[in-house]
Amino acid sequence: MKKDKKNSFNTPDGYFDSFHERLMERINEEEVGQRESLIPKSDGFSVPDGYFGGLTEKVLSQVEQKEVKVISLNPYKKFYYSAAAIAAVFLLIFGLTWKTDAPVSFEDLANNEIDAYFETNEMDMSTYEIAEVVSLEEVELNNVLTPEVGEEHILEYLDENVEDINELNLDYSDYE
Amino acid sequence: MIAEETLVHELKQKESQAKAFEVLVNTYKERLYWHIRRIVLDHDDADDVLQNTFIKVYKNIEGFKGDSKLYSWIYRIATNESLTFLKQKSKKMGIGDEELKTKMVENLQSDVYFEGDEIQLKLQKALATLPDRQKLVFTMKYFQEMKYEEISEVLETSVGALKASYHLAVKKIETYLKED
Repeated sequence: MKKDKKNSFNTPDGYFDSFHERLMERINEEEVGQRESLIPKSDGFSVPDGYFGGLTEKVLSQVEQKEVKVISLNPYKKFYYSAAAIAAVFLLIFGLTWKTDAPVSFEDLANNEIDAYFETNEMDMSTYEIAEVVSLEEVELNNVLTPEVGEEHILEYLDENVEDINELNLDYSDYE
Repeated sequence: MIAEETLVHELKQKESQAKAFEVLVNTYKERLYWHIRRIVLDHDDADDVLQNTFIKVYKNIEGFKGDSKLYSWIYRIATNESLTFLKQKSKKMGIGDEELKTKMVENLQSDVYFEGDEIQLKLQKALATLPDRQKLVFTMKYFQEMKYEEISEVLETSVGALKASYHLAVKKIETYLKED
């Protein structure tokens, strides 16, 4: 190798011999430093003594209870439908033939009374339960989407609510 | 440990169902509990949601097609149950999601099953500021020590997006913890 005659700098003896070891040591230190973050290793949650020990039994008895409930209700299901049908027929007959002073029908309810009922009574239905009673065929797209959402509203919404663009999972290949 | 395919097969057979379900509960109860607990924070709530999760698994195992792994399917049910539980809770209390999160962290101070000190309480406050999904990714990776591939199956998100999300969560939490 050609010696650089112009170089007037010097290094300590054996500097380059141990360079690799010192470099690796430094990298290790930095990695340890990164792992030792400010975030605590434990989040401090605990459970009552013996909780997990008795859990399996508790879950199994819950499942059995649910099963019993389902079986006991089934034989009455048809009866409920028949009873409801008979009651409906009676109501119809009496409604048509008997003229009472104050016949109450669904039409007599003001819309705001119906609205007030839904607002004040906790329906307590999860999305799963709603999905079970409302069939997909009955749902019009316009029932769940407001057709007049302008592009500027969408952009404004995304701007305010999306902190991490990666969360949108945009497939950039679609735009290429 | 029993192979996943065998367990699923036994869960679908009437005669082996009860025994197989017991094996499933024993296998997943602790892992699922901690997953749920880190979302709902309160022990009693976590206990309720965990039992509902297992009941849902039991009732729907017939419909499990095996397109995904059993554990990721169960984790997905647990995650949905926990988030739905929180939504119902905020509705019942008549408050918004953000307000509920703040209240949940405040309640930890008097919770006998929270043994954290000041820094752990601050960590919970920091976590409450993150979007739901980012918080999920962080707790699954940092505390539950799940692999990105596993989280990816549960949350149905690409590994790349998860890594970015985790990195961002760590930065936000560290910044929050550094603040006075």
